[in-house]
Amino acid sequence: MERCRRLVVIFYVMAKIGLFTFGGGWSIIAQMQSEFVDKKGWLTEEQVMDYMSLAKSFPGVMIINMSVFCGYAMEGVAGGAIAAIGLSAPALAAIAIVTYFYSSLRDNGIVGKILNGVRSVVVPIIVSACLKLKKTAIHGRMAWIILSVVFVICIFTGINKLFIVLAALVAGLILWKGEIEDDVS
Amino acid sequence: MTCLRLFLSFMKIGFCSFGGMTMIPVINDEVVRYGWMTPAEVMDIVAVAEMTPGSLGINCATFVGLRTAGVWGALCASFGVMMPSLTLSMAAAHFIFHLKGNKYLESAMRGVRPASLGMLASAAVTLGISTFFPDGQISWNLAVIALICGVILIKGKLSIPKTILIAAVLGLILG
Repeated sequence: MERCRRLVVIFYVMAKIGLFTFGGGWSIIAQMQSEFVDKKGWLTEEQVMDYMSLAKSFPGVMIINMSVFCGYAMEGVAGGAIAAIGLSAPALAAIAIVTYFYSSLRDNGIVGKILNGVRSVVVPIIVSACLKLKKTAIHGRMAWIILSVVFVICIFTGINKLFIVLAALVAGLILWKGEIEDDVS
Repeated sequence: MTCLRLFLSFMKIGFCSFGGMTMIPVINDEVVRYGWMTPAEVMDIVAVAEMTPGSLGINCATFVGLRTAGVWGALCASFGVMMPSLTLSMAAAHFIFHLKGNKYLESAMRGVRPASLGMLASAAVTLGISTFFPDGQISWNLAVIALICGVILIKGKLSIPKTILIAAVLGLILG
C-alpha cells in the first residue's frame, strides 16, 4: 500500500514538473531537487547530481533519462517508468491542444509576450540550481578546476557530453583512487 | 502500420540523439524521408515545442504522430522516443544503485559531479546569450524579467512553478 501511494505521488509530482518545464529541460534539475530532496527527502543531493550527468550522457531525451534514474532510485523499475510517463503526460496533452490551434496561436501577440516572459525565467532557474548543488558537488580545489575546465569546453566547443562525462569519471578515479575519507557530507 | 513505423522511427531518433536541439537534424531526416512532413513543417515543430512545456523530443514525437496517425500515432511516437531511457538508462540506474557506497564509484563520481555542475553553468550562459542578446543587442525587457524572477527565486525562495507564472505575467506587461 505504501509503495502504491509513493508511486502515485511520484506520478503526480513528475506531471507537475512536466507542466512547468520550458526551455530545454534544464530547469527540471532545480524542480526535482526542490520536490524530491528538499520537500520529500526521497533522494539525496548527491543522487540528483550523479543522475544529471548520467542523464545528459545517455542517448535519448535528457529529462526522460533523468526521470527514469530518479524514479528507479525511489521505487525501482516501476518508479522509473511511472516517472517518465508522468513527466510526458502534460506535454502530450499540451501539444495536442497547441497542434489543434497552432496557426491561430502562432500569430497571436499575447501568446508571444507570455512566452518571452517564460523563456526569460529559464536562466535564473538554472542559476538557482547551480547555487544549490554547489555544496554537494564541490569538495576542494581540484573540483573547482574540473568545473572550470568543463565550463570552458562546453561554452566554446560542441563536443559530445558523453566524452566529457567519461573524462571526468577517469579524472575522479585518478585523483581520489578510491580513497574517500568518511567525513564526506 | 503507420503507428509501428512511427514507433520505430522515433525509437531511432531517440537512440541517435542526445536531447535538445541535436535532435532536429535526425528528426528532419526521418520525417521527411517518409513524407510525413516537409522541412518547413519541421521548423514549425520547433516553434510548437517552444510554446509548450516538455522536452523537444516528446513534443516533436507527439506533433508528428498526431498529424500523421491521430492519437494512437502520437502515443506510439512518444513511446518510441522514450525507449532509450526506458531500456539503457533503466539498466544503468539499476547498476549504479546497487554499487552505491563503493569507494571507486564514489571517487569517479567526485570527478563527474563538478563536471555536471560545469555543464549546467555553461547551459545557463549559452541560453542566456540566446535569450537576452537575440540579435547581438541586449533586450532590456527580458533581462529585467529575468532579474526580478531571479531575486524572487533565489532570495525570496518562491517555488519554481509560481516563479514561472510570475514570469508569464511580467512577459505580458513588459514583453
